[in-house]
Amino acid sequence: MKTGDTGFVTTTLETALEWGRSNSIWPFTFGLACCAIEMMATQASRLDISRFGSEVFRNSPRQSDLMIVSGTVTKKMAPRLKRLYDEMPYPKYVIAMGVCVIQGGPYNQGYSVVMGVDRVVPVDVYVPGCPPTPEALTHGIMLLQEKIRNREEK
Amino acid sequence: MSYEVREEAGKDGRKILRIPKENLLELMKDLKGQGYDHLALITAVDYRDRIELVYHLERSSTNFEILTVKTDVNDSTVDSVTSLWESANWDEREQYDMMGLVFRGHPDLKRILLPEGWVGYPLRKDYDLSKTQYVNMDDEGNDRVSFDPGDGW
Repeated sequence: MKTGDTGFVTTTLETALEWGRSNSIWPFTFGLACCAIEMMATQASRLDISRFGSEVFRNSPRQSDLMIVSGTVTKKMAPRLKRLYDEMPYPKYVIAMGVCVIQGGPYNQGYSVVMGVDRVVPVDVYVPGCPPTPEALTHGIMLLQEKIRNREEK
Repeated sequence: MSYEVREEAGKDGRKILRIPKENLLELMKDLKGQGYDHLALITAVDYRDRIELVYHLERSSTNFEILTVKTDVNDSTVDSVTSLWESANWDEREQYDMMGLVFRGHPDLKRILLPEGWVGYPLRKDYDLSKTQYVNMDDEGNDRVSFDPGDGW
């Protein structure tokens, strides 16, 4: 991106698109357990992820870009989660919030729990914690924005 | 009374009634007549040789005082109390799901938490944890359970 005194900005179309895309990630409400409480706190006025363009939590997969999986994924839930992920339009991203979602957490080896949501859908950012603080989730969203903006460098 | 109740004191002084399972429904009917209008919970303990069913009843007229009723089950079948308290419906389904207890006279006895087709009852001591089960869903939304890791999660 080049700026000068001329009042012009020159950039590539792809960079402009990725800049816009990274600053308007609409999350999909996917609260499955206690992590969802921290996700709500992240969204509420004190920490307010609308500062990063993620103000609208959508209840429909058709209108969302980011699935924040917050809470233990059970075996019964996994096929539903997969179907909802498949219904999201491209480009789509997934944040795994909390250790349950990352590898089972305290329920690791449990009879009814999936050992990590990355066995079901591809994950972009892992946010560890039990539960992660709202600050950690905000950091995770900022990491995702960085990832979207620097796609070609990877 | 045509049945025999053994009365015990719990650790915190609460009253516990022990009843043979044949007379459970009879006792429960009488207790409901005495004003126990709320069934707070049904839970069960596996002692390997028997399963102990525990009912917590509450009486709203005496500041929700709690009465515990315990009964031993040897052959997995016991009378349902859904005819007395509606809330027993889901509580009994949970005990069927987790402990494999069959409640006679229950209107809709099926699993409540695990998918239909799950093998075994997870809260029993003899449940085999070494055999992992995997769940998948067909297009109609019905669950499918298998032992094959390639089929589901």
